[in-house]
Amino acid sequence: MVIKPLKLIIVAGKKGRVTVKYPYKEPLVTPEFRGEIEIDPAKCIGCGACVRACPPNALELVESEKEIMLRYHVGRCIFCWRCVDVCPVNAIRGTRNFELATNKYTDLYTLVVHGRATCEICGMPVETTRMRRHITEKVPIAEEYVTICPECRRRPFAEKTSWKKVGPGELKK
Amino acid sequence: MSLKSNILKKSLWVFHLNTGSCNACDIEILDALTPFHDAERFGVKLVVSPRQADVMLLTGPITVESLPKVINAIEAMPRPRIIIALGSCGCGGGIWHDTYSTTGGVNKLLEILKNRGVEVDAIYYVPGCPIRPEALLYAVALIKGIVSKKREMKVYKAE
Amino acid sequence: MPSTETVTKYIELATRSNGEAHVERDTVFITVPPNKLVDVADKIFNEYNCSFRTCVGIDERPLNGHFSLVHLFTDDKAGYYVAIKTYLNGEKPLAPSITSVVPAADWCEMEARDLLGIEFTGREVYRLVLPPWWPDNLHPLRKEVPYNYRPEPRIESEKLSYNSEYGVIPLGPYHPALHEPEYFELYVEGERVVDVKYRGFHVHRGIEKLAESRMNYQQINFLAERICGICGFVHSTCYALAVEKAAKLEVPERAHFIRSIVLEIERIHSHLLLLGVAFHLLGYDAGFMHVWRIREKVMWLAELLTGSRKTYGINLVGGVRRDINEEKKRKVLETLRELASEFKSFIEIAISVPQVKKRLTGTGVLPREVAVKLSVEGPVARASGINKDARRDLPYAAYKYASFKVPVYSEGDNLARVLIRVDEVFESISIVEQLLDKLPKGPILLTDFEIPEGKVGVQVVEAPRGGDIHYVVTGRGAPYRWRVRAPTYANIPALRVMLKDQPLADAPIIIASIDPCFSCTDRVVVIRNSRVEKLKFMPL
Repeated sequence: MVIKPLKLIIVAGKKGRVTVKYPYKEPLVTPEFRGEIEIDPAKCIGCGACVRACPPNALELVESEKEIMLRYHVGRCIFCWRCVDVCPVNAIRGTRNFELATNKYTDLYTLVVHGRATCEICGMPVETTRMRRHITEKVPIAEEYVTICPECRRRPFAEKTSWKKVGPGELKK
Repeated sequence: MSLKSNILKKSLWVFHLNTGSCNACDIEILDALTPFHDAERFGVKLVVSPRQADVMLLTGPITVESLPKVINAIEAMPRPRIIIALGSCGCGGGIWHDTYSTTGGVNKLLEILKNRGVEVDAIYYVPGCPIRPEALLYAVALIKGIVSKKREMKVYKAE
Repeated sequence: MPSTETVTKYIELATRSNGEAHVERDTVFITVPPNKLVDVADKIFNEYNCSFRTCVGIDERPLNGHFSLVHLFTDDKAGYYVAIKTYLNGEKPLAPSITSVVPAADWCEMEARDLLGIEFTGREVYRLVLPPWWPDNLHPLRKEVPYNYRPEPRIESEKLSYNSEYGVIPLGPYHPALHEPEYFELYVEGERVVDVKYRGFHVHRGIEKLAESRMNYQQINFLAERICGICGFVHSTCYALAVEKAAKLEVPERAHFIRSIVLEIERIHSHLLLLGVAFHLLGYDAGFMHVWRIREKVMWLAELLTGSRKTYGINLVGGVRRDINEEKKRKVLETLRELASEFKSFIEIAISVPQVKKRLTGTGVLPREVAVKLSVEGPVARASGINKDARRDLPYAAYKYASFKVPVYSEGDNLARVLIRVDEVFESISIVEQLLDKLPKGPILLTDFEIPEGKVGVQVVEAPRGGDIHYVVTGRGAPYRWRVRAPTYANIPALRVMLKDQPLADAPIIIASIDPCFSCTDRVVVIRNSRVEKLKFMPL
């Protein structure tokens, strides 16, 4: 009755020491582990697809008049790698980093700053310059439309159709 | 507090404070005490009361129901006070950083504590969802001065 | 298997009560007027012997100007879901309470009252979900309240209430025996506890409202996974299956197999966790350390298959994101075989330790009739003789391709609940081996699909703690209403019965034996009892 629980000593002795002495030796991480992400500033076009797919809003687009900034907050990231899935130019790459502890809050940010292009007609800032280039490369015929903002694109079309319905002499807007 | 660096190099007593988390980070804290990762090599021990603790491990986005109790628990700690904010919920509020029932992580808590005159000597952020036990041991080693910080703010310009 | 005779009796019952019914695959939708609700619920629960799962309040004022209330039952023998719906007044919603015939419906009605403002007649009412200082006419789940509107939180904590008759002992929210924040105030008379005041809901985070507003269909998988860190994949799979059922999507078979394999691996890890914590509470710390050493292998397997030790994040509506190749299959089989032999030799030693065996036998007994009335779930029900398992009764994912036994004991004490979990670990290992053998070839994710508006999907998945149910009404881009009821929600009222006349020192292990998970639950319970010792600690 008392002998059976003592068999645990045999089990423990056979197993030996299993501790991995972490900062001095390598930790046990599989090749599949999802760690931090890395944004390649040479490829990113500032489209915002990753911002729409991110569940905790760790990736955000901060807009000001001259620039659009993609801000990655690693403190809020849940390491799901949905941004890696949806990026159209494969600018986001996953790594296996998990040693991210720090004592300054601003260390947790990564910023990619893009310049903003403006509309030819009204002068309001629209999307990033890189995104404009990317669209014209993919769809060459869009060159006439892509330099104008959506509001200014709509106005001539609306004027033309209202002119057609009413006829000359009476202009109804 | 210049004695702090000498005293805390030897052993850290931690108190685990769950402010409304989903428990994944909490079981990884318990996992850090089991044979594979063995946190007791660093002198870390889980204590039963905040009055005996040097370091407070905070998990969870601080919900409105538990906010007064968290403030009481932190006020009960003796100086020097160190807080480690664990996980996506603790550092930035997590996936629910703006709902009606949470206050969005540890930053709002620090403001409230400053207004009440409660001083916190150091605060560390450990991202992860959930954190790996090795990431927690890395933070403990960082406090003790064994390893140095790897993560820094990066700004890239794309024209 | 669903059959047509059982369906006709529900349709007849609906037409007899001035209502209507229609059937879609394995769900029967019944609509009745409010005055017939109690009779219909009585017949379904007591005569047809269905299990009660939960009730859902829905704000349908933008669609048709009414509130509505849906009660969900499952017919386990025949394999059907039964959803009973009534429409309530849009200005002052008032519904009859069914707690007189279905005692298990107590808490979900109070939750509908707190979050939506639906009043109930025929029962006593109290505030359940929201904090006591929350303003009275602010109901967060109504459609006009934005999800991020926060009233100013209260920073001063409350004082203890003084009572001149009894002594008062406060316990929590932060206490060495508790892993989650809960607050108890005990009124004691000598050594007996006479009354308990409980305040929970420290973990209520506003998940259901968040899903309706800021998120879209694919992001909610990640939100559902973080409802609970220990059984997270169950919630994520259940949500995906419910949406796929509502939208009638044909998910590839290989995805179902991968989901079932990862579900079983999660079950093994959760049962080993509980055994370790139970040994720790009984004072056998060596057992705790050894069981968690054995459990570490399962965490590595999960990381190999899915990419993360916990909160796996591989589920999407339409399939999964990661595949299993030959190398991983070999590693999984090898590790599971080692684990089975190590665990078997260890558990024989552990159960024979005198303090473990004597403290677990004969304590915390839950009789069978009470278990049926309260509709308890999971190992708690199976230890009291109720043969209920959603993997066999309402088959989902790939469980119809595996053959497994469902262990049932009839004593209903703590030892039965521990031994059931040990048996289930071995059954899970056998299921994983069978499914890996039969894995079909093909794609793993469906990409081209549309989710129509206004459809309803209900799904039950067997979590390690019992049956978990999700109810989804689809909207445009995001669900219109999503309701989750976790298994611990149904098990906690049974604690009141299990703790009667028990010595105080056995209270922690009795509570741990139902494997409570408060972040799944975030509900509150008010236990009033006199002349009996009461539970205090709520360890995980």
